Amino acid sequence: MGGDYAPDEIVKGVGQLSLEAPHVQTILVGHAERIGQALLKVRHNPERISVHHAPDVVLMHEKPKDALEAKPEASILVAARLVRDHVADALVSAGNTGASVLACSMTWQRIHGVRRAPLAAVYPTEIRRGEKDDPFSLLLDVGATLDVSAEDLCTFAILGSAYAARVSKNPRPKVALLSNGAEAGKGPPEIVEAHRLLTQMSEINFVGNIEGVDIPRGTADVVVCGGYVGNVVLKMLEGVSETVLRLASYAYKEKLVWRAGLMMLGGGLKRLKEITDWEQYGGAPVLGFDRLFIKAHGRSRARAITNACKVAAKVSQGNLVADIEEALRRFEARRAA
Amino acid sequence: MAPPPDERSERDRERERRREERRKPVRPGVESIKAAPAPAPAPPPPRHVYRWDLDKTYLKTEFDTLKDLLRSAFEGAEAKQSIPGAAALLRELRHGERTRICFISGSPRQMRKVLTKKLQLDGVEFDEFILKPNLRNMLTGRWAAMREQVGYKLPALLAGRSGLAPDVRETCFGDDAEADCFIYSLYADVIGGLVSRPLLEEILDRAGCYEDDAARAVSLAEALPPAPGAVERIFIHLDRKSPTSRFDRYGARVVPIFNYFQVALVMFEDGRLGAAQVVRVALEMVDRFGYTLDALRNSLSDLLRRSRLRVETARALGAQLMPSGDGVPLLGALPESRELLTQLGARLTQFGDVPVVMPPPPPDLRIDFLAALEVDLPRRRKSR
Repeated sequence: MGGDYAPDEIVKGVGQLSLEAPHVQTILVGHAERIGQALLKVRHNPERISVHHAPDVVLMHEKPKDALEAKPEASILVAARLVRDHVADALVSAGNTGASVLACSMTWQRIHGVRRAPLAAVYPTEIRRGEKDDPFSLLLDVGATLDVSAEDLCTFAILGSAYAARVSKNPRPKVALLSNGAEAGKGPPEIVEAHRLLTQMSEINFVGNIEGVDIPRGTADVVVCGGYVGNVVLKMLEGVSETVLRLASYAYKEKLVWRAGLMMLGGGLKRLKEITDWEQYGGAPVLGFDRLFIKAHGRSRARAITNACKVAAKVSQGNLVADIEEALRRFEARRAA
Repeated sequence: MAPPPDERSERDRERERRREERRKPVRPGVESIKAAPAPAPAPPPPRHVYRWDLDKTYLKTEFDTLKDLLRSAFEGAEAKQSIPGAAALLRELRHGERTRICFISGSPRQMRKVLTKKLQLDGVEFDEFILKPNLRNMLTGRWAAMREQVGYKLPALLAGRSGLAPDVRETCFGDDAEADCFIYSLYADVIGGLVSRPLLEEILDRAGCYEDDAARAVSLAEALPPAPGAVERIFIHLDRKSPTSRFDRYGARVVPIFNYFQVALVMFEDGRLGAAQVVRVALEMVDRFGYTLDALRNSLSDLLRRSRLRVETARALGAQLMPSGDGVPLLGALPESRELLTQLGARLTQFGDVPVVMPPPPPDLRIDFLAALEVDLPRRRKSR
């Protein structure tokens, strides 16, 4: 029950989910009284919602390790335990990212072969993919790791590929390494080595290296990088989107002709805004654990929460963990050979 | 396909014979062949009356668009669907001692046959079925009356109350699509003697009732002896999933519910239903409508959170659902349902303390009907 707008927006989002997705049962974990108060004010179907009391919450500004040690009954820890004990199939949170990932790593097992669990993000692209024409690519890691090895990057590629195949119904997602050039020898040593290893992996549709400019184009369905680089890239892309919107707003106010032009482009701009609206994708996974965690943006409002829960429900339907374990086993076997 | 000639002529002869009989004058002292059989002894007066709305309360009806409205008007009884658990609950209520079941619906009178057949198909018995005279409204140019509910339902409810002793208790069932909560609450306070004549006149005027409907309601209200607390409960089925806080203004008597298992639980707490009857309502929802253990348990938790049910009641019900309890022999020969309800019983007995979210509204809350009118009947508040 974390996030900038918790609990009201979280409860509202789950209320909406209960009306839209009859097959999904949601457990709201947090202060039962506050959740109950919020439920009284929103449209929902209580047959599909239960409330699990957790007296504490990790606030957005708190240091993850200290907060989790001080608050063993924090909602994120309680929720992670419920997923560990198979009371729930997936965890969705808009709360403190560090605390969320740490709570998962304290409570769940990492999949055999995964040294570090990467945090993924989705980014809207020009090219669409999969059965459902999903207009976004998966970028990982975007902040869970600082220094990564070539093996870690290969693991991220396997994790991302398995997830993208499931969520976008895309049987052979294109996987690429983010580098400073398309050539195999470009980039730091771990990228060069990862390129060599990934080229040998037939189970992954590795398309080579891509540059930053290729991310919004959608050249690859899964973009693999270290957490430090991924975080910088993600923030920059978000910043560019926001700046473009601000510039459009400025242009609208500045000149009547520009305003008329923008009005004529209104339909197209609205469509563009819909595509680039992160709220419609809800959240992105933290991969590598034996349980599923979808991290929603801290600024998530009801719509984003509804969609994050839908993503979680969709991914939970198949056996993602088993698929990942199988791919990692083959990777390990090849490396040993 | 036309019937064969022989059959047709036989039918014509029969019709002609009936016509002839109708033309014959009935001689004094000779009993007419049309006369009704000797009247059955009058049933004992009821102790409890259950008043039900039909659309969206008992039946799953869509009339938000013209297409929905037409489909609803022309579909047969077999095609109509009841709301999960509603039929089972009505059957259980019927088994109560000296109870009376009355339907009052905004559907046109022309639908009586199909609606009656639907209730028969569901095994629901009733004592009274009031439908709206929409054809008459249309022919007399009372267009607003076709949608307006207060001027139709309040006089009908008051007329239904006349002749009943003041100690007869009532439970009303409506939904959140129209103004059921407002109308039932007004009815409850009117028969409780809590609404003065000038206030009632103002409410009816602001609700947009026709003058003759308003005058009828006022005269019926004045003719009734005050019966404080006669309406015990008003259940509002949240068909539109309205936020429950919307009904706070109507006090503790109104219980917004999401399904009929919740109604059965509240009535179990009120002593109106026994554990076995609650189980039969739940069974219908499980067997016929695919309700799961989670859905039933969550429904119960929702009532606990809203302080509409006490945790002790849940535990008591759970104890009766356990194999050693009284409810299980009544579960019948449905092993899966039996298992599911036994599991529910086990969970209910283990219920911990649920944090009380909202204190129940005070039972003696005075309803501000004029303010409620502005919220719940905004389109019709203008005086006609």
